[in-house]
Amino acid sequence: MNAEANKSKKVKVNSAPKKRRRAVSLDKKKARTGYWFVLPFIIGLLIVYLPMIFQSINYSFHELRNIQGGGVELIPVGFANYQEALFSDAEYVQTLTSGIRQILFDIPAIVIFSLFMAILLNQDMAGRGLFRAIFFIPVIISTGLMSDIDAQNILQQTSGQSIDTGTGTNSVAQIVNVMDVERLFANMKVGSGLVEYVVQLVNDIFDIVNRSGVQMLIFLAGLQSISPAIYESCQIDGATGWETFWKITFPMISPMILVNAIYTIIDALTRTDNPVMQYIENVYTSVSGGNVLSSAMSWMYFLLVMVIIAVVAAVISAYVFYQRRDA
Amino acid sequence: MDATKTPKVKKESKNKIKVEFEGQLSTWERLKLKVFSMYFLKNVVVYICRLILLIGLSYIVIYPFISKLASSIMCREDFVDATVMLISKNPTLDTYKAIIIDNRYLEALINTFVLSASTALIQMFVCCLIGYGFAKFRFRGNGLLFLFVILTMIVPHSTLHLAMFMKFRYFDVFGILNFLGGGVFESVELLDFTSVSLINSYWPFLILSATGLAFKNGLYIFMLRQFFRGVPDSLEESAYIDGAGTLRTFIQIILPISIPMLVTVFMFAFSWQWTDNYYVNVFFTTTGPYTLRDIVKVPATLDTQYAGSNMYIAAIRNTAGILIITPLIFIYCFAQKYLVQGIERSGLTAE
Repeated sequence: MNAEANKSKKVKVNSAPKKRRRAVSLDKKKARTGYWFVLPFIIGLLIVYLPMIFQSINYSFHELRNIQGGGVELIPVGFANYQEALFSDAEYVQTLTSGIRQILFDIPAIVIFSLFMAILLNQDMAGRGLFRAIFFIPVIISTGLMSDIDAQNILQQTSGQSIDTGTGTNSVAQIVNVMDVERLFANMKVGSGLVEYVVQLVNDIFDIVNRSGVQMLIFLAGLQSISPAIYESCQIDGATGWETFWKITFPMISPMILVNAIYTIIDALTRTDNPVMQYIENVYTSVSGGNVLSSAMSWMYFLLVMVIIAVVAAVISAYVFYQRRDA
Repeated sequence: MDATKTPKVKKESKNKIKVEFEGQLSTWERLKLKVFSMYFLKNVVVYICRLILLIGLSYIVIYPFISKLASSIMCREDFVDATVMLISKNPTLDTYKAIIIDNRYLEALINTFVLSASTALIQMFVCCLIGYGFAKFRFRGNGLLFLFVILTMIVPHSTLHLAMFMKFRYFDVFGILNFLGGGVFESVELLDFTSVSLINSYWPFLILSATGLAFKNGLYIFMLRQFFRGVPDSLEESAYIDGAGTLRTFIQIILPISIPMLVTVFMFAFSWQWTDNYYVNVFFTTTGPYTLRDIVKVPATLDTQYAGSNMYIAAIRNTAGILIITPLIFIYCFAQKYLVQGIERSGLTAE
């Protein structure tokens, strides 16, 4: 009796997985078809992307040498490329620190400017569509070749006279200079660092407007997702526009501030006209053995920026307000 | 109010009536009350300030293009003439002519168009498929794979410059080509010779596009995934009940409703490939296909050896820039409506 019961129990245990395999639920079956949809990406990841990443890291620990008859030879050199980048290269560390500082300066400027523009373009007025279209032009056009042309023109501007294309940051084309702003801030007891920052912002306005297109749209979409009923009840309670902004709009839009801050960093990192990247590209093409050296340099840069993203995300997400979905 | 007085109703036209009742203010008085209130005044001031601000900022965006356009029609002498600032004294189209003929603009235009249109179309469909797969199917490893999408988004392509070049210079899939060619590794460190070189062909672009790895494809996948997440499941469920398979549902139900998003992605992919000079420089050597990056140089027939040479060369470069972006501007005008709509709907904001 007892043994029989044990036996039947055993059979049950054995048969259970078989049964489950036979009767796959519709949901699971459907979930499996998802693999077909992402198949192109899986193939690309396995065949092209991951090997490329590993190779790139691998190259940074090697020396690449051409052999006669066409072909290349890899010689492992350990951390020599990294040491060369950090200690032998005269400009790399300097370019790196100024590039990182530039990114840190740009985050508040671009985020604040794009928020400001989004609020402006969210209001009802004539020609709103036209203005939105204009502010989005740089995202489409001022990339790659065009920014290359602008960069070449600016380079020429500094060496001699050239046409002012509004993109220049040299002293002649400056919109305001430090002296004017200093006079403005004379009695406000602010440090000279802030003054220089403001001057730099005003003079880089072209750059900032150019780079805040996508961020502006993200904010615009965020602003439109705030329920008008909240604004209405604020108005009825007698809140001024200023109060409404700080108490309603700002908290509601704070998740987008986080998204935009991170987007701004990534965008600055992956831009080809990023000064650090340009320096690295220059090393790639013009220095002997620069191809492996540039791999080492860019991986170091990448890691540093990842650290910045982590820090920025941690700091901002402490202040982000998430509206409860069920509320 | 006196209810006994009945208002007079006049019929003005077929669909319009005018109601007049006693004690009503005349139009002029009503207008006066409206215009001379603080509320109205404040609104006008705000409106004007906003308009000035917007026009000023638009000017910053547009000025480089105006300036490029102005310098492109200047003649040689205008650059040494101190009185010429923006508007030429003798407008000429010589620079355009020289670039179009000497720098073989049309050939570059056709090559770039073929490259951009084909890669953009492939990217649009592939990213759409991948985004849909990530959004609607909870298969095992969904989250991990999506993490890799994010990775492709944040690793700068310059980091992979050498690896990318080597990958396509010695293209091989898991050593299969090497095996078929009968090649044996002479030493472990030696790269094989039996692989195919895809440099100077369109293949690297097509392969990267077809696997969702080309420039900014991570962003498109992300956008489309967010968009598809917002599409209600009931839409697909009703299609399934009607007997449609997953693929058919995707093609007949999902694709038609995502047209604004598709146009947005196509627009981005097309224009970023169009002005791209990074991937083109990696995959095309000087003997490669003649694309738009090659027209940015001084045409042979133009003499730049004189006092204003610096500015003249810059103007030639600007003219080439104008010629490069003109087709894009046309496309932008048509797609712009979808662009803003598409991004707003993408729900880039969620999460």
